[in-house]
Order: sequence, then C-alpha cells, then structure tokens
Amino acid sequence: MTCTLGEVKQRADFIVYWGGNPAECHPRHFTKYTIMQKSKFLPRGRKDRTMVLVDIRETKSAKAADIFMQVKPGKDFELITILRALIKHQHVGDDQIAETGVTREMLDDLVQRMKSCKFGCFFFGMGLSMTRGKHMNSAALLTLAAEMNAFTKFVAMPMRGHGNVTGADVIMRWQTGYPFGITFNRGYPRYNPGEFSTVDVLVRGDCDAAFIIGADPGATMPQPAIDHLKRIPTICLDPHITHTSKLARVHITTAAQGISAPGTAYRMDELPLPLKPALKSPYPTDEDVVRRINKAISEKPFWLPEGSQPQMITAQV
Amino acid sequence: MSKKRFILNSSRSSKQGTLINVGKDSEEYQALTSSMTMEPGDMAAIGLVEGQMALVRTEFGEAEFKCKAGKEPEGMIFIPYGPPTCKLMGGNTDGTGMPMSKGWEVEVVPL
Repeated sequence: MTCTLGEVKQRADFIVYWGGNPAECHPRHFTKYTIMQKSKFLPRGRKDRTMVLVDIRETKSAKAADIFMQVKPGKDFELITILRALIKHQHVGDDQIAETGVTREMLDDLVQRMKSCKFGCFFFGMGLSMTRGKHMNSAALLTLAAEMNAFTKFVAMPMRGHGNVTGADVIMRWQTGYPFGITFNRGYPRYNPGEFSTVDVLVRGDCDAAFIIGADPGATMPQPAIDHLKRIPTICLDPHITHTSKLARVHITTAAQGISAPGTAYRMDELPLPLKPALKSPYPTDEDVVRRINKAISEKPFWLPEGSQPQMITAQV
Repeated sequence: MSKKRFILNSSRSSKQGTLINVGKDSEEYQALTSSMTMEPGDMAAIGLVEGQMALVRTEFGEAEFKCKAGKEPEGMIFIPYGPPTCKLMGGNTDGTGMPMSKGWEVEVVPL
C-alpha cells in the first residue's frame, strides 16, 4: 500500500503528514516531492494539493499546512481508529472524539476531503512510531490507508531517518528475509524484535563485543545500552569522531560515503540511488575495512577443535 | 521541589541537524541539546525563569537542561535529541526493538 515519491510528486493531491515535522527534519520533502511540485496531473502545483498536518505540537510544518490537527499526546491510535470508523459511517461518541483533542467538525471535514481526493498519501514520522503504541500506531495508519482504497487511491509511507537507514533495512530484507532484529547464532537468520534487536541485546548485556558501522548509538540509544557498549570491546567505523568512537576500544576512520567513497543509498521510498564520490580520501571505505577484516578472520584457524560444531547448531541438527 | 508532571517531547530540529555536521563536540551542539522549551505559564507555575537550569527526571534517569520559554502546548516540554536525552530513556522496547523516545511523563525541578 505504498508507492514511490515520483508517484506522489506526479499524482498526490491530498497529503497528510502524521507525527512528523518535514519542514525541519526533511527540509526538501515539500519542495521536491509533495506540496510544491507542479506535475502533469497537478499542473498548478501547490494550488492543486491539500496538505494536512497531524501532530501534538504546532511545529514549523504547520505553517505550510492547509489544515493543522493538534492531537493530544498518546491519542494517535484512538484518532486513527475513529477515522477508520467514520469513513465507514459507523457511530463514534462525542466523548470518544473529545479525548483526542480534535472536534467532530474537523474530522467530518477531513473524512470528506480524504474520500473526495484522487490520490491520497499518509506520511508518518516518529511522532507516531516512537510514542506509546509504537508499531500498533503505524499498523493502524497503514490499515486506514488500505481501507481508504475502497473509496479512492490511498497510500502510506514512513518518513525515514537521516543517512541510509532504508538501505540497511532493504539489504537485510533481501539477504535474510527480515529487515532488522536478526540473529545468526544458529547459523541461519532468525528474526525477533525485542529479543534480537540491537537495543535489547545491549540492554540485557547479551553480546560481548560490538561492531558499529556508520552509526552513533553512543549519542542516540538509551543510557543502559550505551553503558554496555562502554563495558565490552566496541569497534567503530566512522569518518568522524563521535560519541561512539570515543567509547570504542578501536576507531577506524573511513571515507565518507557519497563524498569520498562510492556506494548506493536508498531513498525513503526504497529507490536505490548510486553515490558518486566528488573528492578523494586518504582513508579506506567501510567496505574495504570489512573485507580486510573478513579476510583476516578467514585465515585464522577455526575456533573449535576439528570436527566439532558450535553447541547450538549440534542441538538443532 | 516541584511535583508537577510534564510530557517530554524529544525531537529533531533543523538547527540540531545542521550542528551535527559542525560536530557533536561543538559548544553550539552541546548547548542546543542541553536546552528545553516550555510554555511560559508552565514555567511560572513551577518557578522557572528564562535561562534558568532545571533538572528533568524520569523513572530511568535525570539530566540538566537550560530552560527557555516557547510556543509549546501546556504541560509539554520540548528537548532536541542528543546525549542528554539518552540519560532519560529506559532500555525497554516493549518487544518492538525501538525504545520510546517521546511522550514520557517527567518531573521538572528548578535548580
């Protein structure tokens, strides 16, 4: 139930940003893909598009919105569920609407606009996915988008973070079948968020070493996870000195992707974009370093006596 | 000591994103990620004045922030993501792999 940003640019006449602040966090989103672009099907650009912002506070994105709906903190799931009911003409009580902080008139107007548009798109951010309810909030919005297709074309897309987080998910998906939270400790990939995901593994103290490439968990993860990274041998590959590189036992400086190292970055709609380096760097690329480490490991003798297997693999067989 | 509870909304801002490229060790980045914005009425209610330091405390940890008045909803404080907000986050991901980074109830104590 999604599409590319090119389709949004060409066709989306109704855009809802939910729990995101693109004016500050994705500053080119409005101008390159969503509300400002003129296209074959929307030749008047901004005048042909309607933009709704749903958030708990009036951010800078509110100035660009036609409609700003201020939802009470932690009430996104309720508001989405109410919208799912209203599009199907099901009864919703005034008290249920009141607890979301939005009026019935605003919701009726929103439902009418959603149904009468030609191509609608929900973009949802961390205000939806990292607050109480988390993936259930995202799932509810995806369901709403799916259900809207009974009336008109509607899609949903997450507002992915900076860097190449989409690329990490895409690569893990086609390599293992899972996007994140994967363990290989039985010799094959297994997936279980909350058990094998990075924060959980670190907080429980399950790992006795960490290898971090192009990320700064030392400045972004919860303190218990950072404390464990300090306790164990952490190796960090990063072009810059970061909070993580400072707590790491080994920091290998690498060339910056897209500036002095080639590669592929995935846009938030999962479109791969080739990166051509503009400058030369005296440092190796992340790929060079990982390949050299792999080669060095492969030249070492196997870590168990000949003929034996790791205990868990034997148990599985 | 104030016992009024607030909703903490930690989020990104364009200035914070720009300063990441300047460097996370830069004074500007550290000052920005150690600042919080509150509704003026809320500040007055707990005896905070513009520029005063305050201790923000969750059930998991605490950190100090410099307070400034801003256009925030009543009962909410806004802090740009950064190392100080990491100290306030718990490690439980509720089985999702993603820690909660917004919407905690916090206590704000003027220093």
